[in-house]
Amino acid sequence: MGGALSAAGPPQGANRAPVGGSAAAKPQASGGPASAAPSPVSDRAFRARCIALAIALVAFALLPLFLKSYGTYLCTLFCVMLMATCGLNLTVGYAGQMSLGQAAFYGIGAYIAAIALKAGVPFFVVLPVAGIACFAVGLALGFPALRVQHHYLAFATLGFNILVYLVMRNEEKITGGTYGISGIPRPSLLGFSLDGVLPFFWFTLAATVVLIAMLGWLLRSPWGRAFAALRDNPIRAESLGINITAYTLLAFAIGAACAGIAGVFFAALVQYVEPAPFHFSVSLMMLLAIIVGGSGRFFGPVIGTVVIVLLPEWLRFMQDWYLAVFGFAVVALMIWLPGGILSIPERFARARAPR
Amino acid sequence: MSAGFLAVQNVHKAYGAIRAVDGVTFRVGPGEIVGVIGPNGSGKTTLFNSILGQIRPSSGSVEFCGEDITGMAPLQLARRGIGRTFQTLQVFVQLSVRDNLIAAAQEFQGTMRARLFAKPDAGLGARADEMIELFGLTRVARLPAGSLSYGQQKLIDIAMAFMPSPRLVLLDEPCAGVNPGLVDELRELLVTLNRTQGGSFVLIEHNMDFIMKLCPHVICMVEGKVMAEGAPRAVQSDPRVLEAYLGN
Repeated sequence: MGGALSAAGPPQGANRAPVGGSAAAKPQASGGPASAAPSPVSDRAFRARCIALAIALVAFALLPLFLKSYGTYLCTLFCVMLMATCGLNLTVGYAGQMSLGQAAFYGIGAYIAAIALKAGVPFFVVLPVAGIACFAVGLALGFPALRVQHHYLAFATLGFNILVYLVMRNEEKITGGTYGISGIPRPSLLGFSLDGVLPFFWFTLAATVVLIAMLGWLLRSPWGRAFAALRDNPIRAESLGINITAYTLLAFAIGAACAGIAGVFFAALVQYVEPAPFHFSVSLMMLLAIIVGGSGRFFGPVIGTVVIVLLPEWLRFMQDWYLAVFGFAVVALMIWLPGGILSIPERFARARAPR
Repeated sequence: MSAGFLAVQNVHKAYGAIRAVDGVTFRVGPGEIVGVIGPNGSGKTTLFNSILGQIRPSSGSVEFCGEDITGMAPLQLARRGIGRTFQTLQVFVQLSVRDNLIAAAQEFQGTMRARLFAKPDAGLGARADEMIELFGLTRVARLPAGSLSYGQQKLIDIAMAFMPSPRLVLLDEPCAGVNPGLVDELRELLVTLNRTQGGSFVLIEHNMDFIMKLCPHVICMVEGKVMAEGAPRAVQSDPRVLEAYLGN
C-alpha cells in the first residue's frame, strides 16, 4: 500500500503543481471516505486490478495471431515506444523535470545498436551498453535542469535533441547520414531465431513488461516518493534533507536509459536506422503521450502510447485531413480532460460524491 | 556548549542600501522556545533565511552545536537536525498526507542506495501514523494533501517539520491564516512536541496571544535590529515596542 505509485493525485497537466496547492484545493476532505488503516476493500480492488492487468496482457500477447504482419509490426512498435514513454513519465510525470529530448536518447540507443550489431556484438551485450551510455548522457543533460526549470528546461532539452539529430544526419562516416544504416540483424534467444515478426513481438513485449515492472518497483520504493516531492515542491524537499541535485540528475538519467533500451529494440525491429525517427517532433509526440494518458500516473503512458502510435494509423483513411483531426482531438482533450484519459474515473467519482 | 545550542552573532544582510537584517545577535538554549515578533518588513524572515541557508548573510556568523553553519545549504542543515517551516504553505500537494510525512523523514533512513531497496514506507509507517494521530489527521491520511483545507494543510506542513525529530525547528508564522480554535490546538501540539521530542523552537508570529502563552523568551525586531528581548511581559510593555509595533 501507500507509495508514490498510488499516491499521485489530480495532476495538473505536465506543469508542476502550484506551491501551496490553492489551485488543486477542493474542499472535499471533510466527507472523505479515507481511513488510516488499509481496508480489505482496497486489497480486493488491488487484486482485481492485477487480474485485469494479466488478462489484458495475455490478450495483447495473443492479438498478433489475428493480425497481418503490418499489424504485428505496429504492436511491436507500440511496445518499443512504450519503453521510451514510461522512462519519460518518470522524468516528467513523477520528477517534474520537463524534457523535450527523449527522442535523442531513443536515437542514441538505436545508433549504438545499429553500429554494434552490424559489427557482430551480441544483442545482450549491446542492450546494457546502450542503456548505460544513455544513462551517462542523461546524467549530463540533467545539469541544465539544476539551473533552469519549466519552459526554459524544455528549450534546453529541445536544443539537445536538435544537436543529436544534426550529428546523426551530418556525421556520415559513423551514422551513414541521411542514407542511414541498413541490414541490422535481429537477435536470437537461446538458439531460437527472433527473425520472424511474431517471435520478435513476443520478445519485445517480454522486455517491455520487465522494464515496466522494474520502473514500478523503483517508483514504489522511497525513491519514487522523493521524485514526487521534487516535482511538487523542490524547496521544501531540500529543507527536508532530500538531495534534489541527485534526484534531478537521476530522473533524467533513468528516463534516458529507458529510451536508450527502447532504441536498441527499435533498431532490431526496423533493421534500418536513419535520423528521421529521432527528430524532435518525436520527442513532442512522446511528451504528448505522457500528457494524454495522465502525467505522473503509472499506466498513463500505456494509453498515451496507443494514442500516438495507433491513432494516426486509424485516422489514415482521412488522408490529408488526419493531422488536422488528430490535432483537434488533442486540443479538445487538453481542454476537457487536462488530467489525461486516466483521470476519467476520478472525474466521475468526484461528480457523484456527496458534497 | 550543550546540544541544541544556536548562537546567532551580529548577522547582517543588506540589499543595496536597504539593511534588512542589521546586526542581530541572539542565543537559543537546548529545549528552549523563542518567539520573534516585529512589524512587517522588520527583517524576521530574512533573518530566518540567513540562518537557514536560503540566503547568505552579508556578515556575521551562525553557530549550531559549536559548529559554524553560516551560509550552509538547506540540505546540509537538514542533515544536522535543523528543520523549518515556511511563511506560506509548502506541502507536496499530489502526495497523500501519509506520504507527505514519510517523505519528510525518509532521507534520514540509511543511504540513498539502501533506500532504493527499502520497503515502500522506508520503515516510517508507524511513526507517520503516530504523527497523523497527534495532529488529528487520521480521517484524511490517505487523501492528497492538495485536496485538503488550508488549516489541514497547515497542520501537515508543521507535522512534516517535526517528522525527523529535529534538534532545532524554525517556524515562520505557524498561525497565519489559521482559525482561532486551531491556534490553541497548535499551541498545545507544540508544547507536547517540545516535551516529548525535545528540541529547540524559534517562531516568528504576529499572534501576540499565541507568542505570550507559548514562549518564555521573546525577541522584538524593528528595522532589522533587535529592539527588545526578554520575558514576554517585559517585551510587551516596553514603550519602544509599543510605539513601533503593538500600538496602544
